[in-house]
Amino acid sequence: MSLLNVGARALLANQIALQTTGNNIANANTVGYSRQTAVMSQVPGQFTGSGYIGKGVEVSTIERAHSDFLTRQATQAASVSSMDSTRAGQLASLEDIFTGGASGLGASVTDMLNSLSDVASTPADITARNVVLTRADEMAARFKDAQSRLDDLQQGVKSQLGGAVKTIDSLATRVAALNEQIARAQGGGQSPNDLLDQRDQAMRDLNQQVQTTTVAADDGTMSVFIGSQPLVLGNSVASLSLATGADGTQNLLLTRGNTATTIQGETLGGGAVAGLLRFQNSDLAAARDLLGRMAMTITTTVNAQHQLGVDLDGHAGGNFFQPIAIPNALPATANTGNATVGATVTDASALAPASYQLNFGAGGSLQVTRLSDGKSSNFSGPLPVQIDGLTIAVGTGTANPGDSFTLKPYANAAGQVATAIGAPRALAAASPIEARAGTSNTGNVTVSALAPAKADPNMTGTVTFTFTAGGTFDVSGTGTGNPTGVTYTAGQPISFNGWNLTLKGTPKPGDTITVQAATPGYSRLNAGNATALLGLRDAAVFDGAPMSDGYASLMATVGVRAQSAQYAAGISDSIASNLETSRTSVAGVNLDEEAANLLKYQQAYQASAKMIQIAQTIFDTLLQGMR
Amino acid sequence: MSGNTIRLGSANTYDNALRQLTTRQANMASLQEQITAGKKILRPSDDPSGAAQAERAITRLARVTTDQRALEVQRNAVSSAESTLGDAVKAAQDFRTLVVQAGNTSLTATDRASIAQQMTTLRDQILGYANEKDSNGQPLFGGLGSTAAPFTDTSSGVTFDGIAGQTSAGVASVPATLDGAATWMNVPTGNGVFAITQAAGTSTVYTDAGKVTDPSALTGANYSIAFHVTGSVTTYDVLNTTAGSTVQSGQPYTAGKAIAFDGLSMTPSGVPVDGATLNIKPSTTTSLFGVLDSAIAGVRDATMPGAVAQGVAQALVQIDSGLSRLQSSRGTAGDLLNRVDDIAARQTDRSIQLEADRSRAEDIDQVKGISDFQTQQTAYSAALATYAQIKKQSLFNFIS
Repeated sequence: MSLLNVGARALLANQIALQTTGNNIANANTVGYSRQTAVMSQVPGQFTGSGYIGKGVEVSTIERAHSDFLTRQATQAASVSSMDSTRAGQLASLEDIFTGGASGLGASVTDMLNSLSDVASTPADITARNVVLTRADEMAARFKDAQSRLDDLQQGVKSQLGGAVKTIDSLATRVAALNEQIARAQGGGQSPNDLLDQRDQAMRDLNQQVQTTTVAADDGTMSVFIGSQPLVLGNSVASLSLATGADGTQNLLLTRGNTATTIQGETLGGGAVAGLLRFQNSDLAAARDLLGRMAMTITTTVNAQHQLGVDLDGHAGGNFFQPIAIPNALPATANTGNATVGATVTDASALAPASYQLNFGAGGSLQVTRLSDGKSSNFSGPLPVQIDGLTIAVGTGTANPGDSFTLKPYANAAGQVATAIGAPRALAAASPIEARAGTSNTGNVTVSALAPAKADPNMTGTVTFTFTAGGTFDVSGTGTGNPTGVTYTAGQPISFNGWNLTLKGTPKPGDTITVQAATPGYSRLNAGNATALLGLRDAAVFDGAPMSDGYASLMATVGVRAQSAQYAAGISDSIASNLETSRTSVAGVNLDEEAANLLKYQQAYQASAKMIQIAQTIFDTLLQGMR
Repeated sequence: MSGNTIRLGSANTYDNALRQLTTRQANMASLQEQITAGKKILRPSDDPSGAAQAERAITRLARVTTDQRALEVQRNAVSSAESTLGDAVKAAQDFRTLVVQAGNTSLTATDRASIAQQMTTLRDQILGYANEKDSNGQPLFGGLGSTAAPFTDTSSGVTFDGIAGQTSAGVASVPATLDGAATWMNVPTGNGVFAITQAAGTSTVYTDAGKVTDPSALTGANYSIAFHVTGSVTTYDVLNTTAGSTVQSGQPYTAGKAIAFDGLSMTPSGVPVDGATLNIKPSTTTSLFGVLDSAIAGVRDATMPGAVAQGVAQALVQIDSGLSRLQSSRGTAGDLLNRVDDIAARQTDRSIQLEADRSRAEDIDQVKGISDFQTQQTAYSAALATYAQIKKQSLFNFIS
């Protein structure tokens, strides 16, 4: 009888093993499935005088092949990879905005400046003037286009973040529900393998969105934390939402009961949300600052030079571009004062592509932190203060100590680039001043260039240079201070009253050069200011780089960010894939192995069946003997 | 894959193999994109500094192109000025020929009037040359700044409405206008050192243009030569009117015999009446048109042969000075044209250099690109083939 029992048990056990193997084969491609094995154990033998006689085999449990360590590692690595690849993907879209070549923004700036060359050649030609206006319009359009594409990216990031937060919420709810089921199933004494697989998979999905840490409890539940804040505790879930700070940066807001906690984007170690927040708060903000600074610098510099000129009808030049106003600094919500803080450009060549954090201290002191590199500057006195070419001043009200503001001068500047002059005649190509060489000059000193450079009340005042023996000259005229014995160097600009004069040749003592207000009748054919505007190509404005090269460095800056994000994504992807391979080496199904198991258990099953047949034969033999 | 891993998850090996294949395919696609575009930098992140270099080279190229276009405008203007000056020189020489003709003593007043008429036509022609514009309407002789037509014909002669002076050439440009004042308005009066004029009321004594015999003895002062006729004896006194001193006194006058003092010498002619006076002043400048006008007046209005002779003599000297001014401006224009050629050659070199810089920065080396592509292709084919082979292998194939 016992052989029959042993055989029946073996038959059953092997059938279970075959079924488990079959289940493995069936789930070979199921995401998150962990390979299962039927753990067989022998049934304790029966004691007889001849010792313990084995009573066969039984399946004690179905074991799930699983390594907590590898699973956690793979999940975390996948989370980092998700962050890096999300950011790299966004940066790839960002750098597409800043392409080079003829269709790029840089080419439109170059074309606009170069088109002034034709006006310099033929100042009275309305066509050449029209071309300048068209080119300026084109440049404005490209700036606006770049800005609107940045805004589109921002919108896209916002909606992706919204989607990600919803996904996180639903996954967290799922983990909590699974926690409850697992805790209940755990009570039965057997491990609920499929529920555990499902929870691991939910955790993997959750970590794709945001990196979490977990703490396992004795009852089989798993608590999930974002940063140090609990998202899931047992079967209870906190809700997640997006919060926009006063400075416009977005962060996560975790609400549990009545307590809401902000989780800073920078503290997140991985997940798509971290990638998106990092892109939005850092990369996109930097691109906005770079683009806006370029727009601000070009419009301000060109306007300033244009205003120095005289148009075709003899009027002083107006604005070439619409002036771009810097929006007021955003006050922090905790501010107790009622001050509004604004900024104006005082030196367009010193602007830095950055936003600023302003913190008011005791006694009217102010700390200004440049957010791009974290550099702080302290000012003891009251506003206005000057930093990076900006003058920061209180508009209305007063600021209390402890108040803080975020100043974003350039975030939306590029969208406001627009030409201000509509008529080609209004292009101030002529110079307000002219230089005359003395009629009785005997040397060969000639005027190489004379251009107005900056606004000055004495600009059109008459200034006379009289050359003296020994290669020097005396200056006389209002606003010059009448210096004498100034050393003359041919080709070196001489600057007084806002203009630059370059002379060439060798003067003889007694020779004179006079700079004076331009003769009105000559300004139609004068292109002094057009030449000066053309000279802005070489004006050192972008951190010392000339205006015509500003775009190249902008492009490179964005390119470097995109490139490093790509490298990071490549590295974290390969780490994640290696760890996933390690994880699946434990938990994954190997079909060859399962085929071998199938054969093994099939043979064992067949042998067990044979055992039953033999038991029957033995029994038959016995019965026949008794006949 | 770590070395100590023994088992492989089937699904994972499939995923990994697929990932590798996808990566290879993506590499090939991007290489193909690069080869097709002929560029190794398609977006800034491919090589940020290379992209910036290429962009800077493109900017510089655009500038060189702009400068070259401006230079062509300048070249046209200067060569127009040069040929205009050539025409003006020819017209002035024709004028000079007419002056010489007018000096023929056998001519009647009517003949001279007819010659004066021709001279006036030439003078107007020369004024037209001075106001010549380039193809863009910029005056060729505007100097440092002027109205559209800098030379105005007024009742008191031609005036220059502009700023005298010559703009100097830059690194990439030359001035498109020449100094109109130096070209047309700067003819020395007299012989270039001093000028002799008849005092008011004096009409019967003439001189030639005079000459300098001893440059070191020149004083630069004003003189007057006063003639005295006592009976049949004519004498003259030379007075330094600047210093108020008498230089010579009671010198006998003989027509055709030189009067010389203080390094100056002139040959008088005619029959002076008592009290006739010649004034001598250091040379100043007048306009070429002033010279032409006075020559025309001299020819047209002269009644006595001596007067014609003096007018012709003075005019010839001054026209020659004027011609030399025109020639000198023409030389300046020629210099500028040479300069234009130099600059144009340099700009061409520079644009070739910049194009090479751009190409080095962003263009793909096609040979290398195609070779890389083929390597990738071979590897991809091998990966596909082995993948298919390995995936065919399964224990299940042998279970029957």
